[in-house]
Amino acid sequence: MKGRHLSIIAKKEFRGLFNEKTILLAVLLQLFIALFSSFLMVGLTSMYDPSSLSKYSRYRYSVAYAGNESELLTYLEKSPDFRVYQMDLSTAVAALGQRKLAAVIYVPDTPPDAVDPIKITLYTVQNDLQSAIVDVKLKDIFLKYEQNLRQIREERLDVHPLPLQIPASTGGGDFYEFVYGLLIPLLVFMPAIIASALVIDLITEEYQHETLETLISTPVTFPEMIWGKVLACEVLVPIQAATWLILLAINGIAIQNPVQILLQVSVTSLILILIGTLVALHYRERTAAQFIFSTGLVVVILLVLAVPSNPLNLLTRLAVGTAGLEQWLVLAVVLAIVAILCYITQKYAEQVAKNHSGS
Amino acid sequence: MSTLADITTIARWEVKKSFSMMSRDVLPLAAILFVLLVLVTGLTAQTGLHLQDGMYRVGVDDPRVAGLIAGDARFSVYQLDASTLDANRDVFDVIVVRGQASSRGTDKANAALKTLSRDYGKYVNSIYNSETDLFAAYPLWIDSESVKSELSFLATQSGQYISAAPSRAAPVPEGVVQNIPNPSPDLSLSEDQLRAQLVQSNAQNSQISRYTEALSSSGAMGNFKTPSQLSPPLPFDSIILVFIFIFPLYFTSQFFMMSIMNERIERKGEILLSTPVRASSIIIGKALPYFIGMLAICAALTLYIGASPLIILPLIPIIFFFLANALLIGMLSRSFKELSFISIFFSTVATSYLFFPSIFANVHVISLISPLTLIVLTIQGSVWTATDYLYSTSLFWLTGAVLFYIAAQNFKDERLFSEKPLATRVREFLSEILPRKYPFVSLFLLSGFSIPFVFMVQMMCLVLFFNLPMPYSLVFLLLFAALIEEFAKGIGIYTIYSRDAGFFTWKNLVLASAATAIGFLVAEKLLLFVTIAQISDSVFGSILFLSLGSLWLPLLLHFVGVLIVAACLKLGGKRWFVPGLAIAMVVHCLYNLYFILGWLG
Repeated sequence: MKGRHLSIIAKKEFRGLFNEKTILLAVLLQLFIALFSSFLMVGLTSMYDPSSLSKYSRYRYSVAYAGNESELLTYLEKSPDFRVYQMDLSTAVAALGQRKLAAVIYVPDTPPDAVDPIKITLYTVQNDLQSAIVDVKLKDIFLKYEQNLRQIREERLDVHPLPLQIPASTGGGDFYEFVYGLLIPLLVFMPAIIASALVIDLITEEYQHETLETLISTPVTFPEMIWGKVLACEVLVPIQAATWLILLAINGIAIQNPVQILLQVSVTSLILILIGTLVALHYRERTAAQFIFSTGLVVVILLVLAVPSNPLNLLTRLAVGTAGLEQWLVLAVVLAIVAILCYITQKYAEQVAKNHSGS
Repeated sequence: MSTLADITTIARWEVKKSFSMMSRDVLPLAAILFVLLVLVTGLTAQTGLHLQDGMYRVGVDDPRVAGLIAGDARFSVYQLDASTLDANRDVFDVIVVRGQASSRGTDKANAALKTLSRDYGKYVNSIYNSETDLFAAYPLWIDSESVKSELSFLATQSGQYISAAPSRAAPVPEGVVQNIPNPSPDLSLSEDQLRAQLVQSNAQNSQISRYTEALSSSGAMGNFKTPSQLSPPLPFDSIILVFIFIFPLYFTSQFFMMSIMNERIERKGEILLSTPVRASSIIIGKALPYFIGMLAICAALTLYIGASPLIILPLIPIIFFFLANALLIGMLSRSFKELSFISIFFSTVATSYLFFPSIFANVHVISLISPLTLIVLTIQGSVWTATDYLYSTSLFWLTGAVLFYIAAQNFKDERLFSEKPLATRVREFLSEILPRKYPFVSLFLLSGFSIPFVFMVQMMCLVLFFNLPMPYSLVFLLLFAALIEEFAKGIGIYTIYSRDAGFFTWKNLVLASAATAIGFLVAEKLLLFVTIAQISDSVFGSILFLSLGSLWLPLLLHFVGVLIVAACLKLGGKRWFVPGLAIAMVVHCLYNLYFILGWLG
């Protein structure tokens, strides 16, 4: 196998990609997703935590309190989030229907130390953004009241949970798990999936456009041609993944260990690319190859996710900076799988070349 | 009737061809993979997804607390003595010393603290669930009642959140107050029933059950909840819908795309074209099996999740739209890689158009621009009207139909087998539907038919920018709306110019601009009245469709916009197309700004 031949093939594929400007589409796609997700984050954050937008921080929601007096009324009146009016239930609900109130609370005359529970009725506007926010704020107050009632009825409890004091959250961190535990591994790994789909296109194209004969008649051997294509796809992975990391950084999402992340992604993507190569060599036809490959891909990814310390989990851990030495062990295992796949691909390509020259 | 016969023949061929190709050695392997998929899904359901393992480091001094936290794989738990923990605070996101948790205060530590407090809540609930006196552990129950009050789009003008302005005195409702009896103080369920519900809701893995709950319409036991069970509706339910319904559709349309592409490789489709069958029959015949197949998949999925068959209705225009795009992509791309990239690009854009509005399904009427919202509503058991249906699907029907028409007009030798770059091919495709004999009529029609696309893109921008705080959302929308409209109007002129630059004498230039402007205005009006009156009444709508008032002003605006682009083309050549668009956009924006400022002030 000659390195020069590999690079000739890889360069040819790159030229094709650039001529068709398909690479432009890929970049555009990345930008589009980055734009959309950052807009979405702003929207979602403001939806769940409106005080994150300074404009709404001093906002007090009007709620009506109906029924019997209780400790709950005191809690509501003390809260900086609410303005409480004591009202008649029917009037209050009518006002709520006209959006003059954000919520109505009705409290029955059950005493705090009764045998029965206290059933509060909470009226909110159906299908409404504001109700969702008010719900969240009211929940805190209800929890406080529940705690108070529990203390009153404490003697009736027979088991007590292990005490653990957790400080009240100070805001922020709402979407941390979503961003680092889902978005980042997904986005960073996407180039690997694109590259493996691309290698199938490149190989089946030679078969279906019947350009194989021309290529074989050059000094480039069949296995060299296959490896050249694999190389072209592999080179794209770290470039695209790095673009993601940069885009995320622009969005204000700091990522640790970028070098290790790129290393892990590049090596792991080889597994997918080689599987794609084998499928393409076997079927020689795009529809079948892509169909089998994408179904197989789902199986492989689900299987990988079922294993603890899998490469995708490692990406998450690297990004948040909790990956230890085990990352090198994972890398070694992945490399071993890559080596096996490389061997199979080489043998298969030789086999195909032999059959081809024989026929 | 011969057309119908042609279509069925072609459809039968298509089915036979794809089966003979697939059956050789694809089907056995596909069957094996499917079995594997089921097995692997079972495995992951058992072991869970190990994606977020070990995200947080927690230091603990008490072995009992360590055992409690270690149940969540997201934490790496280190058990050390209190003084060591205090000395190494910075290594851990959270440390728990003598039953007191404290964090470093970073975003990550906050997230860890929140996860910890959720886990602890679960643990506490599991203890309380086993109390003999359930009502001592859960003394407070909340019965949620919702009051209907439709949020009108107009209300958002003042910002994103509408609500009653707080005042000193209690608000007084207008009109007759309906008498509402005081709710009964008793829970209508027995202690055992409530306990069962608590145990069940605590046992559920919140990550996955949230999604499955969205699909099974069987509600929990009544509306009674303990305070800790109160939670806002999570917006991610529609993700699962995208995967369940849209993904298979997208997948199947790939086969159609490939079948079209295969006809073009090495001119294999030439034989079919040489028969006296009309191009439209070929297209319909080839698309029919896929359409039926996709419908069958949707029906099977609907049956499987046990949802109402009404779900199919909003899915039909989506299928239609997907097929139209698959056809055009299959006809446009020169190579497999181009096909892959274009189809990935298309599917991402289409998926975001479908998915993002439906996140706000329970929140805002804006969500109705996506047919997926109708599906979410159907599953929730809410009703939607024929108007809602028209509103959310009309753009899909119209754009799909226009794309099919373009494809049918171009389904012939010289277009299918040419090897020109993508942009040139798109222009040629458009050129084909602009007959040379009637340039002005065709420009009128083209700009008219571009309206559904313009609306679609503008809707997308609206969804995108709607999330931003008020002044920004308006500014972005202003710029993009103008750019999109000018682009749509300019494209016909550009096509004719590249075909025949000599056609544009100054007289023809003015006539062509007028034809384009009139076509645009007429179609805009027509579609607007049918569908999106709701949005067009708001301040956002006035940016997008600032033309409901008088007729001649918007006509003049459209005319001037096109004329600027056309004049730039004539004077500067093709290179001046983009600068021309930019100038037209600025003019358009100034016009809109003038009217909105006047309107607001």
